[in-house]
Amino acid sequence: MAQRSANKSRLGALPWIAPALVMILVFVVWPAFEMLRTSFQEVGSTGAVKGWAGWQNFATLIKNPDLPNVLIRTFIWVIGVVFFTIIISLPVAQLLNAKYPGRKVVRWAVIIPWAASLVMTSTVWKWILDAYYGVLNEIAMDFHLLKEPIDWLANTKQSFVWLMVVAVFVSIPFTSFVILAGLSTVPHDIMEASKVDGASPWQNYRDIIFPLLRPSLFVAAVINLINVFNSFPIIWVITMGGPGYETDTTTTLAYKISFRDQDVGQSASMAAINFAIILVFIALFVKASKNQEQS
Amino acid sequence: MKKVTRLGALVAATGLIAASVLGTSAKAADSVELKMVAADYANMQPYWDDLSAKFTKANPTIKVKVDVVSWETIDDKVKTLVATGQTPDVVNKGDYAAAAAEGLLYRADEMVSKATLDDIVPTFLNNSKYNNIAYAVPDLASARALFYNKDILTKAGVKKLPTTWTELEAVLKQIKAKVPGVYPYALPLGPEEAQAEFSIWAGGNGGVMFKGGKWVLNSKENVQTMTFLKKLTDQKLTQPNPAKCDRTACAQTLFASGKAAFINGSVFLPGWLKDNGGAAINLGSGSFVAAPGKKPVTLGVQDYFTAYKANGHKAEIAKWMDFIFEPTNYAAFLKAAGGFIPATKSAGAAAAKDPALAPFIKLLPSAIFYPGDQAAFPAVKGAIQQQIGTALVNPQKTMDAIQAKALAAAK
Repeated sequence: MAQRSANKSRLGALPWIAPALVMILVFVVWPAFEMLRTSFQEVGSTGAVKGWAGWQNFATLIKNPDLPNVLIRTFIWVIGVVFFTIIISLPVAQLLNAKYPGRKVVRWAVIIPWAASLVMTSTVWKWILDAYYGVLNEIAMDFHLLKEPIDWLANTKQSFVWLMVVAVFVSIPFTSFVILAGLSTVPHDIMEASKVDGASPWQNYRDIIFPLLRPSLFVAAVINLINVFNSFPIIWVITMGGPGYETDTTTTLAYKISFRDQDVGQSASMAAINFAIILVFIALFVKASKNQEQS
Repeated sequence: MKKVTRLGALVAATGLIAASVLGTSAKAADSVELKMVAADYANMQPYWDDLSAKFTKANPTIKVKVDVVSWETIDDKVKTLVATGQTPDVVNKGDYAAAAAEGLLYRADEMVSKATLDDIVPTFLNNSKYNNIAYAVPDLASARALFYNKDILTKAGVKKLPTTWTELEAVLKQIKAKVPGVYPYALPLGPEEAQAEFSIWAGGNGGVMFKGGKWVLNSKENVQTMTFLKKLTDQKLTQPNPAKCDRTACAQTLFASGKAAFINGSVFLPGWLKDNGGAAINLGSGSFVAAPGKKPVTLGVQDYFTAYKANGHKAEIAKWMDFIFEPTNYAAFLKAAGGFIPATKSAGAAAAKDPALAPFIKLLPSAIFYPGDQAAFPAVKGAIQQQIGTALVNPQKTMDAIQAKALAAAK
């Protein structure tokens, strides 16, 4: 009897979760399936499908001379952006958590870069950094920090650093709010007890707050990892991965293989590999969050 | 009671989704809607909307929906439409051969009537062939010249217009010395239109992309050309960082603001300058420079109408295409596009009297064109746009890389 009613209540939920399920099927599962299918197809440069290709697309991709550098750069991109995002978000979250007049305004100000579309933010940054009309050069020259304008996006290493700066900038709001949520779960009585016991603010933070923040730091890290890995607009708007392939990550490379090299099949195989990497991240996330629940 | 409610909710949810999916596909019987995707020369949407309304008035059973798309995204858009089974009927953009090679296109003589086809300028129709059969109808063309800012040249004391690379280099040095704050030559090797900048420079050295049935991107002539451009850039005779300088946003904008003395410009550059803050530029033009001892060339670029077989609207497409080429409609098309060379003999006769166009029309017989009849050309163009800027670091290495991409695409 108990079994039956449990079954019934599961099915009964269907009407309420059906719209979400349909959305997931149409917007996630089906495109992913199409992508995987395309990665095993031979697609002409016009986009017309010519037949099955077996593993040929993957073989071509592995031989792609630009792939090794792009893979290394993607690794630096993901690790660098997530690391600096978290390092900067920790104090920002403290600032948002502290009580002072005008805290609401500060919280709103931090949210704005998150609320703005990535393409918009990236376009603004592109113009801030512009060699001829950029406001950064203008300010630096007005303060006599620079004698003549610098093209911030000219040197490939330098422009990649700027791309990372923008990526960190747009990742901070989400991350600091996740940490803020973590901060609000820190029990007051423990804090008071430690104060009474004479702990310094730094000891307080290091030995009580930070360990309690671990679950939210973990959530922030994994979600950022996925977001940053998939990030297309920042790189595409500011440098288009150029010159050559020198600021590409695997995400922009997949686009370029499809629409510059006109090889949709090879591009789909790149996307499939990206997808596999993301699945690994997600698996880690699910496993670790289960471990945390248990402990 | 509870059960009924749940079932009802399920039915309602499914129904809503079904309705939203089906609702869009309902259409009136017997009428055909042609889908066209067109590149945006200037502000084309009003022209196409107006023409499509006139066409439907004359042919009540045929509607034409024209999507105007920017040049930067039209190739991606059409490819996506084809790949996802939403192939348009007519496309107006810069290439055709890959689609012809894959058997997706109607022939030119199926797209338009014989009268219309006979009126197309033969050179242009010749450039619309794949395996000796025309699969596209040219819509218009452009040619290039060396444009300069007369005021800057006067200030620098330049008396004679350079015609060779050596003369140009000397003049650029003279400008750099005498007119500070000005970039002597604006060199756009950024992705937008790098293939044009490369082609006209290489053409002046006898270099081409495709010769005798083979891709020859890393030919001696082409590498020499890039080596010369590297030399100009290294001496700071161009704006810094040509690899990230796009034609419109960077090179033409510098020229429009009086910050560049020379630029490789298309026939529509004067019109563009007027609309984009460069009306005050004291503009001059001459034929493009060539390597010492080589013949100067111009680069001819033509665009196309192509018609896709996918939806089987052959008869309707032919009606629509002939309607576009009716003299008054075609004249309006040229006017909307702004300052291009017409593709028809009849419109060309009128354009030859236009002082802005006449010199370019005269240059056309000696023009070099892209190898647009090669199916691999879009991939080669993509490789050049992507990588040619890095040739200013290592010319041979970059040209070898582009050649490798060309060979891979031609397989």
